[in-house]
Amino acid sequence: MQDMQLLEEGLSLMALGMGFVFVFLTLLVIVTTLMSKFIGRFFPEPVTPAVPTTRGRAASQASQNEDVMVAISAAVHRYRRRHRR
Amino acid sequence: MEKLLTLWYGSGVYNLTPGQAVMILVGMLLLYLAIAKKFEPLLLVPIGFGGILANIPEAGLALSALDQAIEVAKPAVLERIAGALGVALDPQASAEAWRELLKGVVEEEATADALRAGRDVAASVGYGDGMLYSFYKVAIASGIAPLIIFMGVGAMTDFGPLLANPRTLFLGAAAQFGIFATLFGAVGLSSLGVMDFSLNQAAAIGIIGGADGPTSIYVSSVLAPELLGAIAVAAYAYMALVPLIQPPIMRLLTSQKEREITMTQLRPVSKREKIAFPIAILLLVAFFLPDAAPLLGMFCFGNLMRECGVVERLSDTAQNALINIVTIILGLSVGSKLMADSFLAVETLGILSLGIVAFGIGTCAGVLMAKLLNVVSRVPINPLIGSAGVSAVPMAARVSNKVGLEANPHNFLLMHAMGPNVAGVIGSAVAAGVMIKYLG
Repeated sequence: MQDMQLLEEGLSLMALGMGFVFVFLTLLVIVTTLMSKFIGRFFPEPVTPAVPTTRGRAASQASQNEDVMVAISAAVHRYRRRHRR
Repeated sequence: MEKLLTLWYGSGVYNLTPGQAVMILVGMLLLYLAIAKKFEPLLLVPIGFGGILANIPEAGLALSALDQAIEVAKPAVLERIAGALGVALDPQASAEAWRELLKGVVEEEATADALRAGRDVAASVGYGDGMLYSFYKVAIASGIAPLIIFMGVGAMTDFGPLLANPRTLFLGAAAQFGIFATLFGAVGLSSLGVMDFSLNQAAAIGIIGGADGPTSIYVSSVLAPELLGAIAVAAYAYMALVPLIQPPIMRLLTSQKEREITMTQLRPVSKREKIAFPIAILLLVAFFLPDAAPLLGMFCFGNLMRECGVVERLSDTAQNALINIVTIILGLSVGSKLMADSFLAVETLGILSLGIVAFGIGTCAGVLMAKLLNVVSRVPINPLIGSAGVSAVPMAARVSNKVGLEANPHNFLLMHAMGPNVAGVIGSAVAAGVMIKYLG
């Protein structure tokens, strides 16, 4: 009955292996979630300070361009949202 | 006239065995698939070419010094080798019979000491290891090449989508069911008497279902080096076939409505989380599964180099120059295992068919798991991303995206599918670790 033994061993390896993969990745889910929360709470990314806007004419030109960009992206965003379905 | 005959006897045409001829054709077929059909060309070009090189008659590029001496040496040398191996040769039999006998002894019963003595004899009469054999010994038998490739893959992987939605790790876990179901299938086939696979061989075949080239090569080099050629070819060929194999299964298991599910935008992931993640995996591996440490350790190392941002040069080398160099050597070494006597067997057909079954089952399990997650969780999950749980980065994620777009032209699943995709890489490395722990 060598065959039965081989089959049994295959079955137990299947159960053990699949079980372990799930346990390990479940642990990883838990650890990852905790890690993300911990970092978000205690070591948040430093907020980049807002760029000062008073920088003469060239700067105002640039900020005007930025305004245009914002308007365009808002329009695109709204269009996409309306046509999503 | 006699000189002419000697030339003829030494020619490739005279010495070509039918097996070698078939294997050269197989090598050509691999080259054709790689060049004309663009099947994983980065690997199948070196593998196919290596396969042709390994089957050049009389050159013995894929043989060790001892095998070469047994294959071609004069009878006097054969007698000395037999002496070193401690085998008695029948003086009546022909030199061909001696060669057969010695080959059998070297493959099966000879002790390590006898083999060393035999190797010394072969070296003393001027035989050396073949080029491809040396490549194989350095790159695969030592385990180095697949591990360096894994490091490069780590350096190319962005864990952002996975960190934004850690539940997708379950999809990567579910898709590994293909590995274990195939293992059981291989064991079942041998207990029915159709094929003859040991448990180790069955495990190495199952890993094809992980759809991860370097992992398959690593596991089969540890558990079943004799099947390495067939397993590597099956793994890479099917990875190239992912866009053909997966979509029908995905459509079969999901309804039109499920395929149309849009997923919420992923949250931004901070740089610090990305730096901490590989270290977290490494610690888990160290605590719970040290046998997966070679694979996942190199993977995490590569990823840390990418994310930490202070070793740009190392990260760049790992994901470009180094991985390319190693791919060339790895491909040629795998090619050296495409020798007629080991590749042309019923087992190879078994491996090829079990491999495709493994892929299919893995895809099914991933999709079904995604449906389950969709039922239990509040945030909607499109079941199509489940199929990306088989590793095959980034091909499987692209397939999810494509099938999703067919159902809903404004639904881009690519980033969502990258999460289960890299989870699949981790999952198959864990599965490999379990196999090696259990059987190695």
